[in-house]
Amino acid sequence: MKFKTLNKLATGLSVLFAVTFSVVAAEKVVVYNWTEYIPDGVLAEFTKETGIKVEYNTYESNEVMYSKLKLQNGKGYDIVIPSTYYISKMAKEGLLAKIDTAQLSNFTHLDPALLNKSYDPNNQHSVPYVWGSTGIGINTNEVDPKSIKSWKDLWDKKWQNSLLLTDDVREVFHMALRVNGHSSNSTSEAEIKQAYELLTKLMPNVLVFNSDAPREPYLAGDVNLGMIWNGEVIMAQEEDSAIEYIYPTEGAAIWVDSFAIPTGAENKSNAHKFINFMLRPDVAKRTVEYIGYATPNKAGIALLDQATQNNPTIFPSKRIVEQGEFQTDVGPAIEIYNKYWEMLKTSK
Amino acid sequence: MNRYSSPLNFRRLVITLTLTWLGLFVLLPHLMVILTSVLTPDAEHLVIWPITFDNYLKVFEPIYAGVFWNSLLMSGITTLVCLLIGYPFAYLLANMSPTMRVVLLFLMVVPFWTNSLIRIYAIKMILGKKGIVNSFLMFTGVIDSPVQLIYTDFAVIIGLVYILLPFMVLPLIASFAKLDRSLIEVGKDLGASPFYRFIYILLPLTAPGIIAGCLIVFLPAMGMFYVADILGGAKSLLLGNVIKNQFLVVRDWPFGSAFSVFLILLMAGLLIIYNKANNYIQHKGGLDDENL
Amino acid sequence: MKIFKPLFILSVFVYLYLPMLVLITNSFNQSKYGHKWAGFSWKWYEKLWNNTGLMDAFVNSLTIAVLTAFIATLLGTLMALAIHRYKFRLKSTTSSMLFILMMSPDIVLAITFLIIFIALGIQLGFWSLLIAHITFCLPFVVITVYAQLKGFDNNILEAAQDLGASEGKIFRVIILPMILPAVLSGWLLSFTLSLDDVIISSFVTGPGFEILPIRVFSMVKVGVSPEVNALATILLVISLSAIAVISLLIKRKQ
Repeated sequence: MKFKTLNKLATGLSVLFAVTFSVVAAEKVVVYNWTEYIPDGVLAEFTKETGIKVEYNTYESNEVMYSKLKLQNGKGYDIVIPSTYYISKMAKEGLLAKIDTAQLSNFTHLDPALLNKSYDPNNQHSVPYVWGSTGIGINTNEVDPKSIKSWKDLWDKKWQNSLLLTDDVREVFHMALRVNGHSSNSTSEAEIKQAYELLTKLMPNVLVFNSDAPREPYLAGDVNLGMIWNGEVIMAQEEDSAIEYIYPTEGAAIWVDSFAIPTGAENKSNAHKFINFMLRPDVAKRTVEYIGYATPNKAGIALLDQATQNNPTIFPSKRIVEQGEFQTDVGPAIEIYNKYWEMLKTSK
Repeated sequence: MNRYSSPLNFRRLVITLTLTWLGLFVLLPHLMVILTSVLTPDAEHLVIWPITFDNYLKVFEPIYAGVFWNSLLMSGITTLVCLLIGYPFAYLLANMSPTMRVVLLFLMVVPFWTNSLIRIYAIKMILGKKGIVNSFLMFTGVIDSPVQLIYTDFAVIIGLVYILLPFMVLPLIASFAKLDRSLIEVGKDLGASPFYRFIYILLPLTAPGIIAGCLIVFLPAMGMFYVADILGGAKSLLLGNVIKNQFLVVRDWPFGSAFSVFLILLMAGLLIIYNKANNYIQHKGGLDDENL
Repeated sequence: MKIFKPLFILSVFVYLYLPMLVLITNSFNQSKYGHKWAGFSWKWYEKLWNNTGLMDAFVNSLTIAVLTAFIATLLGTLMALAIHRYKFRLKSTTSSMLFILMMSPDIVLAITFLIIFIALGIQLGFWSLLIAHITFCLPFVVITVYAQLKGFDNNILEAAQDLGASEGKIFRVIILPMILPAVLSGWLLSFTLSLDDVIISSFVTGPGFEILPIRVFSMVKVGVSPEVNALATILLVISLSAIAVISLLIKRKQ
């Protein structure tokens, strides 16, 4: 009896060993990303098709991802998905490897309008995955959507203690800088200070800063007007169709989340295969359906149903994109931004 | 077995283990923090060499005085509320049968095993304009239109107390559990009023538990910025926010470190003053542990 | 007055369980964001069952939390004992260290831990996470146990020592039973703290080993999924039934 148990244990152990070994031996790619930022089932399909195992790890902000890679000299992960201005910063600091677009047969599907941007000329270090914008969110049951056209409208005294702003220094300053007619990537202290002064006049209207799920206060009925990301509006509309998105006339803040490969990546070729898989039109289509943000993948867009393709909240017109501004790294000027941000938040 | 070697070995083991662990994972990291706090920030390399004390000067900029005051106030109120709820709660629990006590103790802790983020989201839903509290108050006719509960300091306190209450109750229960009940009986027999029994017997005997509970609530409360961010609307900065921003957003690690060092020194200072004052009062009133 | 006591206890429990009630309700809510009731559904439980990433993270979290709680309680109790009973060099340094540890903002600990683990060559993942969790739980255990040891009658210990009891035996036979409630409290505190840490964990963990809080906080980009509510509900049901069974068993014994 005892012997049998022992035998069983031994078999169990050897199986465990075999499993461990096969894991070690198998090809893999380590992805560092937000939770559920890739549609259900896509990772499994990738493994099935290529035999490459995906180790999926998550972070809760660009800042954490950056600091961790920086401290590890770009080692530990094969794929990261930084937002726009982190691409330029990380590339400048040598944290991102060059991407070989020759290995990406699906690269041609991408919309040229979203390639070769100032934050990454010639897409040497990044391949766009999804993109979106920060604009104005509105509950049309409570606020007349015709009365809101621009960022400036948020300054109206009647919104006292009722607005939502995102809890992001760059986005909030984007709004004020654009109202003043400046670039939202300004590094001039005078312009930033002027924006700060404008924002102090907005503060009495602010009920809440929220960057962890800005749709929530709209859905809960605590907020009817304010800033929001377009994808959040798409998600909110599943529950309440009265919540809508407005592109302000001064221009929305546009950001792109892109695939990038850290310099210390151990499985660079697998990383390229992974990116190429994600660039497949059907995967791009599912991404839009799953997370509610736009894909830069033209062939993918063509697969979507007409309603989604023509939904201006997801896919704004060319004119609106040109009105908006892509965020880029402002370098040491971030310290100036933060100084005024802290002053703004402690002003009451 | 040698009678004298054994205590020495146990003792040596405990002390060596303590010192090694703390040396490696507390002293060493904090020496690094202190070093970082006198270096110069650099956008690309995070820190560079020239030693400077400017980082400490920056801590004294006026805007941070407000941050300090705000954080101390919030943590202070939270600790007080936790104590006011936790003390009688622990007392009542300690007076129950051992089985009942353990059952209730676990019942209290179990909610805390679910992720704090989703619990705070739940509180947010409860306190919202269309949440349970407002609906209930309107239904009962106490109010006619919804009250702004969410995104106020009130909501922050509710959330902080919610997160930290067990941290107050657990040390207090331990403290009550070892309480010698005969002392209270003696007080009763001697005709002391409930109030006197509380002030002169119960309170001094449970003082270590109270101090432990207050420390465990007050200190972490200073850093719990996400509660204030989600329930309070992130409209004001707390110490936790400032330090996190310096490390992650601005990446001025030297200033973040200086801020953190200053915070620890400030707290240590407050604690020393508290201890001194406490000793002074006890000697005057003749109420220290030895006399009891 | 009689009614006041149970009423007070009841209201504390209402406060503690009201948010749980919201979570449980929403775990059965068809609607994703839970602001309106859209009908009963098991779909979040089904999704949870198929979400291996989330389930793995949950199992990893439990493993780390249980191990952390045991080791931190053991180490912390010994440390409290050393501070209380022994005279040794660096004693005041030891208690200051613990105080500093508790006072340090999470982000500071997170970054310094990461640097030290890299320097020591400890691979990021299970071990680094365990060491970090044990370390930040330590002061909570020490404070709780130390409070219990304080005001403890040292004469008993001296008598035992004079009677020839070894230090280890004194600890087992006299001290441990006395401080057991505090040790249990320390265990519960550590378990709870470990299960919920985000910032330190996200820095010290490595590829291939992920824990639940990081997964949940990283959902903010697309919204926290009600699967987490379902998971919380299951955990709650299991814990509550365990408590019920245990208390029934004790009752029957009595």
